[in-house]
Amino acid sequence: MAVRRENKVARVTSSAMYIACSAASIVILLLLIWITGYLVSIGMASLNLDFFTQVATGDPEAPGGMRHAIRGTIILLGMASLVGVPLGLLAGIYLSEYAADAGHLNTVVRFTADVLTGLPSIVVGIVGYELIVVPMGSYSGYAGAAALAFIMIPIVARTSEEMLRLVPHSYREGSLGLGATKAQTIFRVVLPAATGSVVTGIMLALARVAGETAPLLFTALGSRLLTTNPAEPFPSLTLQIYSYATGPYVKERQMAWAGMLVLIAMLFLLNMLIRYVAHRSVRKFQVS
Amino acid sequence: MAETATNTAGVLTASGGGFAQSSPRKRRTAKASVVFFDSLLKWVCRAAGLTILLMLILPVAVLLRQAWPAIQAYGASFLVTSTWRANELEQPARDAAGKIIIEGGEAVMTVIPAQFGALPVLYGTAVSSAIALLVAVPFGLAAALFIVRIAPKLKIAGPLSFLIEFLAAIPSLAYGIWGLFVLAPLLSTYVGPTLAKTLGNIPGFDWMFYQTIIIGGTETRRPISFTGRDMLCGGLVLGIMILPIITAVSRDVLKNVPRAQIEGSLALGATWWQSCIEMLRYGRAGLFGAVMLGLARAAGETMAVTMVIGNNNQIVPSPFAPAQTMASLLANEFAEATTGLHSASLLYVALILLAMSLLFNVVARYFVVGKALK
Repeated sequence: MAVRRENKVARVTSSAMYIACSAASIVILLLLIWITGYLVSIGMASLNLDFFTQVATGDPEAPGGMRHAIRGTIILLGMASLVGVPLGLLAGIYLSEYAADAGHLNTVVRFTADVLTGLPSIVVGIVGYELIVVPMGSYSGYAGAAALAFIMIPIVARTSEEMLRLVPHSYREGSLGLGATKAQTIFRVVLPAATGSVVTGIMLALARVAGETAPLLFTALGSRLLTTNPAEPFPSLTLQIYSYATGPYVKERQMAWAGMLVLIAMLFLLNMLIRYVAHRSVRKFQVS
Repeated sequence: MAETATNTAGVLTASGGGFAQSSPRKRRTAKASVVFFDSLLKWVCRAAGLTILLMLILPVAVLLRQAWPAIQAYGASFLVTSTWRANELEQPARDAAGKIIIEGGEAVMTVIPAQFGALPVLYGTAVSSAIALLVAVPFGLAAALFIVRIAPKLKIAGPLSFLIEFLAAIPSLAYGIWGLFVLAPLLSTYVGPTLAKTLGNIPGFDWMFYQTIIIGGTETRRPISFTGRDMLCGGLVLGIMILPIITAVSRDVLKNVPRAQIEGSLALGATWWQSCIEMLRYGRAGLFGAVMLGLARAAGETMAVTMVIGNNNQIVPSPFAPAQTMASLLANEFAEATTGLHSASLLYVALILLAMSLLFNVVARYFVVGKALK
């Protein structure tokens, strides 16, 4: 009889937890719909063509647009990629191709890259401030781009390493057997085989960095001018949204919502693009 | 049959019908430029690897150097001091009996110098992260179990996973703005007053609704006003933010549980929930790593927290009181730190934040990558 009661308790508990797990997932889904719905509805209300064509006017009653901020983000991302992508890619090549290098050095570098991906971004910003802003004497787009590159490099290194590892060893062995050097193998065989996946990894790093605000707080500072000079305080979409959202003016706060909507839409499109590229060109290698 | 010969550089060359040759004479060594480029690439890649190592050492070194005045001034007691005051205080000097010393008709003033201590922000980080985990871990594990066990039968496992990953990619600023404009007013209008009405009169709960503050040298008990921008809101926003990460990593860990384990438990007569417990037990290392990853993210998060935490650098036990975390302190005060000691103390806090985040990440990676894949 005790066994039957135990069974009954266990079965009731099981059904209850089944319902609980489903309910939890529905709650999360509803929460997501609530948050996204709010962002979309309030963002759409203040989104118009002016947002993309006008720059900040400084007038709280008619804030203008965020063209300067969108352009600023694109320029910052470009500058960060100029430094971050080659360094990250080379580090990824090191991790994947020179795996037996110098005892455990390779393992240590891999572990360090993993740990670096979890560094708080505000600490990166402060380091950028101490290393670039203070000697230069002013906040600058260079410092902002450097901070973003600092965040990008470990991510690009790890993802490109993973993608390069997926290329079968038979490719490398065949190339070396034909008399190619290691460098020729890497650049003419391995990298071309993994191009799609590596590009996907780079775009993922870009997507992550595009939404960052904290590293830019003390490096690029933000600006309301349509500037192209990276040696002075530089605008950014995230910084502008933060500045408007925490300010006292209602119209500017509405513009912050619109900016948030545009940022999330950009990231969503970027993620879709990543999936498309990955689907098209990530080859499933046949093991021969 | 073409002859093949191995030359001194160890590169196979073929003759007579093999590769095109650069001259009628057989080439016996690889071109010097090719060999040079090979060595160059090896060194360049090694340099890139060493750059990664440098990228870990550099922040630690920079922060240590800039925080040194504060480390010298306070040492380890910085971690247990709860005063954070950037300005000097002028107070009338009191003698041993507590009476104000008066000289020449005027009270003698003493200057209490600025003092900094990290205990309030350590408390704020700890409590907000704890609230975040309390919210995110149950929901995250339940959602992961749903995706792995229930969703495949309903064919929605794919879309759900996509949704969770999209949630994880939303910038934290979005959660901060939503928290500031939606959640905070909700908490201050409905949740706070309702709880005050129901629990406020029960004697054991008045730490939640009252705080003791010192006004004019005496302690008074004041009710906490509900602004919505408090520890509770900060913890909730953080929890919602780390929920996708915990769900995604737990889903990966639970997916790696061998089918044989689940089927074996079911064959032995386990209910659905008992087999789930078996899955959770099997993947406990990886799940612990997932929770640590979420914790690391929550503790280091800046933007989402800064907007809703209330910017009050004091320890008040109530969840409805404004607070401060390490990251929000840096975001709020770093740009305006005037004196050298203030900046150095802020950088000391940054150093503590860096160390804590590194520790969490190392532990998390060890459990997720090391143990879970064994």
